[in-house]
Amino acid sequence: MKTNLKCLIVVSLLTPFAAKAQMPNDAIYMGKNQLCVAGMYNHTSWNQYWENTLKRENFNIGTQTTQSVMLMPAFGISKRVNVIMSLPYIWTSNSAGNLMGQHGIQDLSIWLKVKALQAGGFSLNAIVGGSVPLGNYVPNFMPMSIGMQCRTFTGRLLASYREPKTGLYLTAYGSYGWRSNSKIDQDAYQADDRVYNTDQVKVPNTYDAAVRLGVQRKGWQTEVWAERVSCLSGDNIRRNDMPYPTNKMQATSVGWYGKVQPRNIGVNARIGYVLDGLNVGQSTSYTVGLLYQINFKK
Amino acid sequence: MKKYNRILAIGSIVTSLSIAFVSCDKSISEPQRVGYAPASVDEKAGTWKTYVLTAPTDVTVATPSATSSTDYQAELTDLKSKSASLTQAQQEAVVYWGAGAVYRWNEIARELCARYNIPPASNADGKYPVPDAANPLADPKFPFANPPYSSRALAYLSVAQYDALVAAWSYKYKFNRVAPSKVDATVRVALPTSALPAYPSEDAVVAAASAVVLKAMFPGEVPFIDAKLAEHQNSRLWAGMNVASDLSAGIDLGNQAAAKVMARAKTDGMSAANNQAVTAGMIQAAKDRGLAEVWVSQETPARPPMLPNFGAVSTWNLDRTTLVQIRPTPPPALNDANYEKDMNELKEINKSQTREQARIANYWSDGAGSYTPPGHWHRTAANAANDAKYSEVRMARTLALVGTALMDAAVGCWEAKYYYYYPRPQQFGMKTSVGLPNFPSYPSGHSTFSAAAATVLTSIFPDKAKDFQDEASEASTSRVYGLIHYRFDSNGGLDHGNKIGSYAVARAKADGSGL
Repeated sequence: MKTNLKCLIVVSLLTPFAAKAQMPNDAIYMGKNQLCVAGMYNHTSWNQYWENTLKRENFNIGTQTTQSVMLMPAFGISKRVNVIMSLPYIWTSNSAGNLMGQHGIQDLSIWLKVKALQAGGFSLNAIVGGSVPLGNYVPNFMPMSIGMQCRTFTGRLLASYREPKTGLYLTAYGSYGWRSNSKIDQDAYQADDRVYNTDQVKVPNTYDAAVRLGVQRKGWQTEVWAERVSCLSGDNIRRNDMPYPTNKMQATSVGWYGKVQPRNIGVNARIGYVLDGLNVGQSTSYTVGLLYQINFKK
Repeated sequence: MKKYNRILAIGSIVTSLSIAFVSCDKSISEPQRVGYAPASVDEKAGTWKTYVLTAPTDVTVATPSATSSTDYQAELTDLKSKSASLTQAQQEAVVYWGAGAVYRWNEIARELCARYNIPPASNADGKYPVPDAANPLADPKFPFANPPYSSRALAYLSVAQYDALVAAWSYKYKFNRVAPSKVDATVRVALPTSALPAYPSEDAVVAAASAVVLKAMFPGEVPFIDAKLAEHQNSRLWAGMNVASDLSAGIDLGNQAAAKVMARAKTDGMSAANNQAVTAGMIQAAKDRGLAEVWVSQETPARPPMLPNFGAVSTWNLDRTTLVQIRPTPPPALNDANYEKDMNELKEINKSQTREQARIANYWSDGAGSYTPPGHWHRTAANAANDAKYSEVRMARTLALVGTALMDAAVGCWEAKYYYYYPRPQQFGMKTSVGLPNFPSYPSGHSTFSAAAATVLTSIFPDKAKDFQDEASEASTSRVYGLIHYRFDSNGGLDHGNKIGSYAVARAKADGSGL
């Protein structure tokens, strides 16, 4: 009956990548046949962005806001193998200008997290995940679009050390993300300084890397993190033009994450801030979640 | 054992997931166009009516050396060495340009329109700097290739190509110098051949004429255009299609014809198209006619309206008196029953736009960063003419007819827009899913462009009439779905565009082509 910190939480919400699904990014596992369901609300906004390398405001956007609610169940197949799913509903709005807000169900993500190696407080974890668009949203009405309408596949290697007595831990990971082409409503568009006469849009692949330093004790957890997410290719936003799915988006973010779950029910919260970027908004985001854990009979 | 089974199960899940997600590669397929022998070489095209040239003799072409001459034989030897074996890049150039000279230069022009179709950013003083032709690559770049600008650039391009090709056809059949592969069967040709005389080269004519117009319209792109020009000429040597003197004579002719066409461009009124001083009088006149609320820029800071005096630019297929006569009838007064009906339609879409409405709005949006609606219709016209295996001169005629109709549509529409100075739906709380153009609402530019082009294309390709009419209708409605036009804007534009297109059709019937 012990309910402790095993409930797995997945949060990334690196806001410039609103299209990107949530990602498992810790070394915490659910026990066998444990299910944790998280319901989360996220609020992300920016009033400045990097148009290529130029940091600017836009009086016809004002503050761009993306909000979402998300259901995220995580299940322990065993104490070393967890499955995580997530499905967000997202809506966007601006404080100025006349661009129509977009809303809808975005992409379904599924993750498999495997503890490949455990030695004392050290663990090495392999994580693979994929996502598919479920909603038929418009991918290239940026920055209002809620996603990029592409399938993704991500492979991640995560190393973590936790000092057993104090609960102090350090986690680091790196990932490679493959993204499929996206299909747009138009049959011609401009990217890479040329016109493509097709409705197929090449969305760049990504990598990310992060470190997280925190304390995980019985019933609670707190950490600070830094993360770098970047496209491996892509073009830049043209002068005074809007962003596009082909853009080479990059962001370096820092933030804090915390969780309290003394019993079956818990809460978590996360804040993040983009320090530097390319072709993305300098966003501030916060997430709050409600966690509920169920133990099934073995 | 149990553990191994589990690992195996997980492994297979991971593998199948990987295959499901990653197996599809990311290469993008675009429709490929390949060279063809034209359905007809249109040997009488040298007599077709030109736009700017009064006669083919306005341009001169040197008498070519005979194919039996030592000069020609030396050129032939040179051609054989250049076309004997090609690198991968040379082969690709041959295939690319082989799709058609007019076709490719039209495509290049559309790409330039897209590259330059971005409105200038406001500066720290809240002003919008005006693009400077003398400093085209500074911020903001010159030109801002908005729909009127693009309609004009593409119209002059097509007219220069057409006039130059009509002259070229005249000289081709005057001199009758055959293609090198017909002189010497051992010349290796990489493209379909026809009975068309090779001197002067129609490819070189089109390349030179196009380069002259595009360098004037996009002065920051001279190196890009020069590179295309050189590659196009070389591709004709690599393909074994033209000897060097075919090409140099074509370049010379193309340059001469385009210079005459650009002389018209210099005096067509474009230099005064952005005269912002005229708006005060336009606004007052619209108010005097009873308009309760005039158009105002919805951008912050307020952006000066796009080319308010473009309506005074010279037209091609109809005169100024006619242009004013066929101006659309006035839009409804704000708040009358017709206005309310169409405004209610917008309110409904604003509240619950369907995905299909968004799709249609997006497909036809052709906004910033695109080749604009005139570019969209040039593409449609070029593809239809390519599908029909038109000769270069007939392809150019098609694009000149469509292109001049589109520019006439731009002039007529802009004249009407600034005459009525009608407010956009965004002044009454509507959002937009496609972006709001910065000029008055009535009539809809997309509708005028689309109807004008569809009217011309319907006349040229009657078998495809329904496709063109459906497309024009959808393009028109797309602006209602995108919430930036009232239904009466779209209907007024369609009607206006049909009329404007009919003047290009009348010209086509009387241009001596018999087509």
